[in-house]
Amino acid sequence: MKKTKDIISSVASGLTVEEQQYPTITVEPKQWRKLAEKLKANGLDVLLNLTGIDYKDCLGVIYHLTSSIEKNTMVVVKVKTPDYEDIAIPSVYDLWESANLYEREAYDFYGIKFVNHPDLRRIFLRADWNGYPFRKDYDANPALNPIPLVNQTVDDMEDMPTLSFDKEGKLITKHHQLFENGEYVVNIGPQHPATHGVLHLRVSLDGEIIKKVDPNFGYIHRGIEKMCESKTYPQILQLTERLDYLSGTMNRHAFCLCCEKALGLEIPKRAEAVRIIFDELTRIASHLLGWGCMCMDMGSITAFIYGMRDREKIMDIFEETGGGRLMVGYNVIGGLANDIHPKFIDQVKEFIPYMRKMLKEYHILFTNNPIAKGRMEKMGILSMDKAVSLGVTGPSGRASGWACDVRKIEPYAGYDKIDFEQVLFETGDTFDRYLIRLKEIEQSLKIIEQLINNLPDDGFKAKTPAIIKLPAGEYYQRVENARGDFGVYINSTGDKNPYRVKFRSPCMTLISALDPLCQNEKIADLIMIGASLDYVIPCADR
Amino acid sequence: MSLELENVVKLAHDGLTSSLPGWAAAAIEYVLVGVLLLALYCVLALILIFLERKICARFQCRLGPNRVGPWGSLQLIADMVKILLKEIVKISKSDKLLYYVAIFLAIIGSFCTFGALQFGKGLACIDFNVGIFYILAISSLGVIGILLAGWSSNNKYTLIGAMRSGAQLISYELSAGISILTMVILAGSLNISDIINGQENAWFIFQAPLPALIAFIIYLIAGHAETNRGPFDLPEAESELTAGYHTEYSGIQYGFFYLAEYLNMFIIAGVATTVFLGGWQPFHIHADWASGFNHVMDYIPSYIWFLGKAFSLVLLSLWVRWTFPRLRIDQLLHLEWKILMPISLLNMLVMAVWVLIF
Amino acid sequence: MIQYIKDLFSGIWNLLQGMKITMINFIRKPITECYPENRGTKVYAERFRGELTMPHNANNEHKCTGCGICQMNCPNGTITVKTKQITTDDGKTKKILDQYLYDLGSCTFCGLCTMGCPQKAIVWSNNFEHSVYRRATLVKQLNKEGSKLEEKKVVAPQQEEKKVINSNTNQQQ
Repeated sequence: MKKTKDIISSVASGLTVEEQQYPTITVEPKQWRKLAEKLKANGLDVLLNLTGIDYKDCLGVIYHLTSSIEKNTMVVVKVKTPDYEDIAIPSVYDLWESANLYEREAYDFYGIKFVNHPDLRRIFLRADWNGYPFRKDYDANPALNPIPLVNQTVDDMEDMPTLSFDKEGKLITKHHQLFENGEYVVNIGPQHPATHGVLHLRVSLDGEIIKKVDPNFGYIHRGIEKMCESKTYPQILQLTERLDYLSGTMNRHAFCLCCEKALGLEIPKRAEAVRIIFDELTRIASHLLGWGCMCMDMGSITAFIYGMRDREKIMDIFEETGGGRLMVGYNVIGGLANDIHPKFIDQVKEFIPYMRKMLKEYHILFTNNPIAKGRMEKMGILSMDKAVSLGVTGPSGRASGWACDVRKIEPYAGYDKIDFEQVLFETGDTFDRYLIRLKEIEQSLKIIEQLINNLPDDGFKAKTPAIIKLPAGEYYQRVENARGDFGVYINSTGDKNPYRVKFRSPCMTLISALDPLCQNEKIADLIMIGASLDYVIPCADR
Repeated sequence: MSLELENVVKLAHDGLTSSLPGWAAAAIEYVLVGVLLLALYCVLALILIFLERKICARFQCRLGPNRVGPWGSLQLIADMVKILLKEIVKISKSDKLLYYVAIFLAIIGSFCTFGALQFGKGLACIDFNVGIFYILAISSLGVIGILLAGWSSNNKYTLIGAMRSGAQLISYELSAGISILTMVILAGSLNISDIINGQENAWFIFQAPLPALIAFIIYLIAGHAETNRGPFDLPEAESELTAGYHTEYSGIQYGFFYLAEYLNMFIIAGVATTVFLGGWQPFHIHADWASGFNHVMDYIPSYIWFLGKAFSLVLLSLWVRWTFPRLRIDQLLHLEWKILMPISLLNMLVMAVWVLIF
Repeated sequence: MIQYIKDLFSGIWNLLQGMKITMINFIRKPITECYPENRGTKVYAERFRGELTMPHNANNEHKCTGCGICQMNCPNGTITVKTKQITTDDGKTKKILDQYLYDLGSCTFCGLCTMGCPQKAIVWSNNFEHSVYRRATLVKQLNKEGSKLEEKKVVAPQQEEKKVINSNTNQQQ
């Protein structure tokens, strides 16, 4: 494997390379496809993030590429269109499968035309939506997009357009249908007890066997990224918690880190340690809920209640120190909102042995249960190559053997000084994805145990300016949240509002893994595989 | 034994036949028995629902219903009133006739089986020479109701639920039937009264410990599966099919399915009690030194014995239901055809040999 | 065949183990809290953000100067600070708080208002029983009728600094 520098020197001859936070290559749409193939061949096999952006004179797409094997490898490619009219960019869905949904998103928000993309439907908005809302000149007049007051079918979502160039170089659109005529299509969701939110899955069935799954996003799309553009940085913090509400603390941490990096702030060691404790507690809470939901989706409601019961203990700890239960609101730019509560240390110390005892019960109750094992083993196998290509990170990716823990590969906030293991499995079946969460709870407890006994005593907040303005530039920060690699991209022009904010949602790639995982499995397994991926819809929809 | 209801029944019967012509007395008796059974059916269902809610709550470290009345005891009355008052939603594209008939088939099947149970000494309504056969036959009627409900609702979820249910019930009927037949070999009669009387000295489960115990366990598993309750609740797997075959039913129609489901749980327990645990027969130890103990056991009325045994089996079923995850359809059929069926067939053979030898 | 029987029995054993766990939990004390009954005894976390309040002292005085930082910090426009000009006894005109309106219905409890308040005039209370019958009732006036600014003996120098920042941000907006 090569280091980033070697990759850059071997692919980017004759191209402008900027040394920013990550080496950044800027190209035109015509050069992009060739460069992408070269980058892929040089080992950058993960398309981590794809950000559409409106530069006011042209549109652009920013690709964050990284390697699944080499640590600390990240190359950023910016593709800028010449103007507002000619906005066709070649699709890279065949090089990185994660581009499939990402490109649909950029098309939906900016209208960027990805040529040769097989399925260029809008993803969050309705097919008949007028305008591209993330463009800076978007007209938000409600009269343009009236709210329909009669029932409408979802048939319009079944027409999949593909753009391609004809011989004369003109863009033409071909259409094909999502489902064939006469297929037995069952709607699962958006109101369904087992989709963990408002996800709409259209499943084509042959008896009980699944032929195809088509996720339909956008039922909880709130335009958070667009909202961020009109809010100040401290105000954005509360929106980050509402993405993936189960790992809100980590998302907030990511945004704080990104701003602190931009401001060059040094965070007190105490704040850093407490932040990690909060992150890990949130991870435990999230995994407990994930475990419980998975058990419930398999019909064991009792296990779900046990998970919720123990999660409640963590919620109480949060409430005591942070003041909130789900939306803790404890991390702020520069440190913590206030110092830890005097009871905090005792509460956490009490919780650790309790959780260990309960984990044993969980294993007896569910992990060893032959029914549960029989249902999960060798079911929904996600190979490592597929996981890398789809960008399935987090516990689900690690269950397939991909060492993708950001805490290890790109350590942040002092994780490099802590002794813990990255839990890895090999098979990548549902049982591994189930078990890895319980194992990660153990690791999280280990991390908390190391920190709680010797918290530094150097204040909880660094001095920050009253009005936070990030210096002009682009900043990207990855953290490991409970579901995977969560990224924050901030493009600042030096104002008190960001110019563009993009959240790299781990859940979106998780949902994209549903279709390959569920094919030829039974409908009962769709629910279980979905639960084992443990996605949170508000994170995917944003 | 003043506590036995047998005398009351006899008194009523004698009173009626002496003062009325035979046909009138019989007619009045039929109606009376029907009404009494129906009342018992509803009351038992309410008790079972309350019991399940309380017990499942305790399994889950909760309190369960505790707002309406003392310990939430009036909750079920409130639920009943709610279910009676709710609107019956008409489905525009359903098969009207089948849609309305289905619920009655489901509940008739369960009710007719319920009538064949013997609740105590002299408390038998349907008692004839092929009683067990009747129970097996009539309890299968419910599956037709479920299939029709799933089909006529014109909904994809209900259809999948109904098809699962059909496959499940028909398969598990087999091993349930075979394990009962195993006991019939021991009893030497299909008549329910004969079967119960045959257990006066020792319950069947003690008369032939090995084959009877295996048959008992198989019957419990198969019976549990027949009631569509977890871990065999695939037909209504709420996380997959929202509510399975009864998704489209509302109000009292849904209530009927609900009632039938709970009563089926009791019926399975009741049949198991009758065939394996001596029905209403008290627990006796067949030895000289235990005559005092046997007298004490005799003092407990027979219907208490029956209900006690049946309810403890119901509790076992609740315990299982609130512990285990759900099977998948292929695993379910695998369990039946590759594990339970061979074992129960083999077991029947063992029982036959046992009866020949002893 | 032997493996089959082994699997069968180990499976049954593990199922029974699972049933043991549920039975242990059956005996454990339930964790349900009977909420309205335990209102008097339940201890709430003191930092819990339930509702924004403006504490008044015994003389019906609050600390709010009406600077409007909280209004500006609020992401959702939950807070409206209305001020009025008055003439003090010595002839100077002074800006004082007239109405402090807080719309509970759009509050996300992010805490930016209390964090930014230079006077610590607004604090979070633990009250979480917010349900009312009309949406308009959710808009609350936090300063009591006839209340006035608490007289301060010494004006902290930091306060002056914050005020300058405040006027700067006003211009930007």
